[in-house]
Amino acid sequence: MGVAGDARASVATGPNIEAGPWRSILARRLLPYALIAPAMLVILGVLGYPLGMLLWLSTQHYGLRELFQHQGEFVGLKNFATILTDAQFGYVVRTSLLFTAVNVGLSMLFATLIALLLERVSRFARMLLSAGLVFVWATPVIPAVNLWQWMFDYEFGIINWLLTHIGAGDYIHHNWFENPVQGFAVITVIVVWGAIPFLALTLYAGLTQVPRELVEAAEIDGARPWQVFANVTLPIVRPLLIILFSLSTIWDFGVFNQVWVLLNQRPSKDYFLIAVYSFQESFRVSQYGLGASAAVVMVVILAIVSVFYIRETVTLTTEDA
Amino acid sequence: MNPRKLLFTVAAALALLAAACGGTTSSNSSETGTLTVWLMNGSAPQSVVDGVNADFKAKHPNVTVNVEIQQWSDVTTKLDTAFAGSTPPDVMELGNTLVAKYASAGALANISSKKGSFENSGTWLQSLTDSCTYQGKLYCVPYYAGSRAIIYRTDMFAAAGVQVPTSMDDLLTVGQTLMAKHSSDPQFSALYFPGKYWYAAAPFVWDFGGDIATQSGSTWKGSLNMPQSQQGLTVLNNLVSKLSRADRTGDELKQDQAFAQGHIAMIIANGWEVGVITDPKSGDPSLKSKLGAFPIPSHNPGQTAPVFLGGSDLGISAKSQHAALAQEWVDLLGGTKFQSQMVTVGGVIPNTTTLVSLSSGLPAVFAAAAKNSRFTPNSPNWANVESANVLQDMLVSIFTGKASIPAATSAASDKITTILNS
Repeated sequence: MGVAGDARASVATGPNIEAGPWRSILARRLLPYALIAPAMLVILGVLGYPLGMLLWLSTQHYGLRELFQHQGEFVGLKNFATILTDAQFGYVVRTSLLFTAVNVGLSMLFATLIALLLERVSRFARMLLSAGLVFVWATPVIPAVNLWQWMFDYEFGIINWLLTHIGAGDYIHHNWFENPVQGFAVITVIVVWGAIPFLALTLYAGLTQVPRELVEAAEIDGARPWQVFANVTLPIVRPLLIILFSLSTIWDFGVFNQVWVLLNQRPSKDYFLIAVYSFQESFRVSQYGLGASAAVVMVVILAIVSVFYIRETVTLTTEDA
Repeated sequence: MNPRKLLFTVAAALALLAAACGGTTSSNSSETGTLTVWLMNGSAPQSVVDGVNADFKAKHPNVTVNVEIQQWSDVTTKLDTAFAGSTPPDVMELGNTLVAKYASAGALANISSKKGSFENSGTWLQSLTDSCTYQGKLYCVPYYAGSRAIIYRTDMFAAAGVQVPTSMDDLLTVGQTLMAKHSSDPQFSALYFPGKYWYAAAPFVWDFGGDIATQSGSTWKGSLNMPQSQQGLTVLNNLVSKLSRADRTGDELKQDQAFAQGHIAMIIANGWEVGVITDPKSGDPSLKSKLGAFPIPSHNPGQTAPVFLGGSDLGISAKSQHAALAQEWVDLLGGTKFQSQMVTVGGVIPNTTTLVSLSSGLPAVFAAAAKNSRFTPNSPNWANVESANVLQDMLVSIFTGKASIPAATSAASDKITTILNS
């Protein structure tokens, strides 16, 4: 960790004792900006432009006719007023927040447990476990969700068959999506399943950086395993945990594929997470302006979360410097 | 997962839009070029498409015709994107409930003045012609129609000693006899009815005199909450709870495969679904001799319930560079020669009343059912009611008991009123 920080440090606080003429100072000051300019241009092109267009679109009345004629009508903040006073949008935001909290919590919990396990098992078991995680990570989302959909199918699903045959009750023709709580539980399983590999492997990599001597010293002083974890391991991997936590939040708040594919592209209102809502308004009901304003709300909420992520990254690099 | 993906999608749509702002080229109806046609999956048999292209090629040897097959599930998104671009397909098949949406948005060419030049235009099916008409102007050519009836297993009926029902009460009695006969099969459904199947639910609403929405002047009013509509839904709810083990939140997309598994006695289906049920790959060919069909019975004994007249129309894009060629191609597919083949090979209801008598066997039952048919509210916003799943959500909440019929129908009616008048 901190490779970037070191590099930055040498540029910023490098040997400037032998300050040359102003021309060379200027060149030295401008050089970093010149070097990052191409990257900045690309970022502006692929991120800034769409974001700007999104903001513009969110202030337009933009339906199908406007789309075909390439001419919207400026309505100011009316779109935001419409969605913010829509009872359904309130439900959507609340559901999305709750869903994100549960999914991030479970993903992080299981990933940490698996990372700790990876550290302790034999070399062979570790290889096997890592391979399994990489396989999950390598499965494209859409086929994976389709496979889960088959497993939870009402008519032909193996989960219902299995549960019935091992005597867990009568699950013949059990509908997992009739009750949204159960349905969201299934979606959570799929999202967490897909999130664990990256989180667990990254955390495991972080854990290998915990100095062995520190752990041994704590053990000699009589610390119990959980005390070692809480007082030695955790503080060291804390920055990494915060970064993973922020990334997970960003991913889980934007969950779309799992819901969309699992529910045959026609999820009922109960299953509208914020990304689904925005897509539905834009591409199903052809109210692109309303859809865009929902997306803006989503970006704002995510921007707030990103503050933690960015602050942690910045602290990390400046600490090292 | 990636929230940015959404932004990119929006941006991509906008980029397309910006790119499309180029100037328009003057249309010269030269005899070269490429004609792009979008047809829907399962609409015309390949032999019909090949025949149309061969006849077209004979007249215009230098024109290439590209027929692309689209899927129903995502066609509106694809159409929106295509129409927003500068080169949408020249000819496209549109579900009859979608035409008003695209006609009102200015995507389709107004072909009112050309109507007379289309073969059989004087005898087109009224309901399809209505679906092509928006504010008194013609925006498409009727292609084919489809209506639903009940497909049943003749062997199961014979084994249970029941006859084809002649009223809704009778349907319940027959169904209950079948359920009793198959009580040892926990998967058996006498009438398989997936919860989101509103095309099959609408006949029950209409049969009691209810409706989805009514129009007075230029304003629409959702009418699923009127007593007649509620009565129809009450009868349906009773049938579903007693006769169906289908997924109450599911849709009808898999019903033919389910039927072919052999645990179902009746489904409400389109004529073409017989082909899916007996298909060697997706179904069971041995069922061919065991299938019968009858129209959905009315609550009035001896009569049939009004059914939704589905179907497709052929539109010509307003931005088409080859409008004249497009019209010729449409005229071939919509004309007598190939419409006859659509009936005999495809088993659909043709676009003209003069050819309906060509259907025989099971397709004839579906053609007969279409005589008493209804259409959805002909508003440009109707497609939004469909995309917003208003009717599906209402049915699901009724069948799963999540809401009472009065509560569910009131909520749906309000939503329909809002969407249709927006």
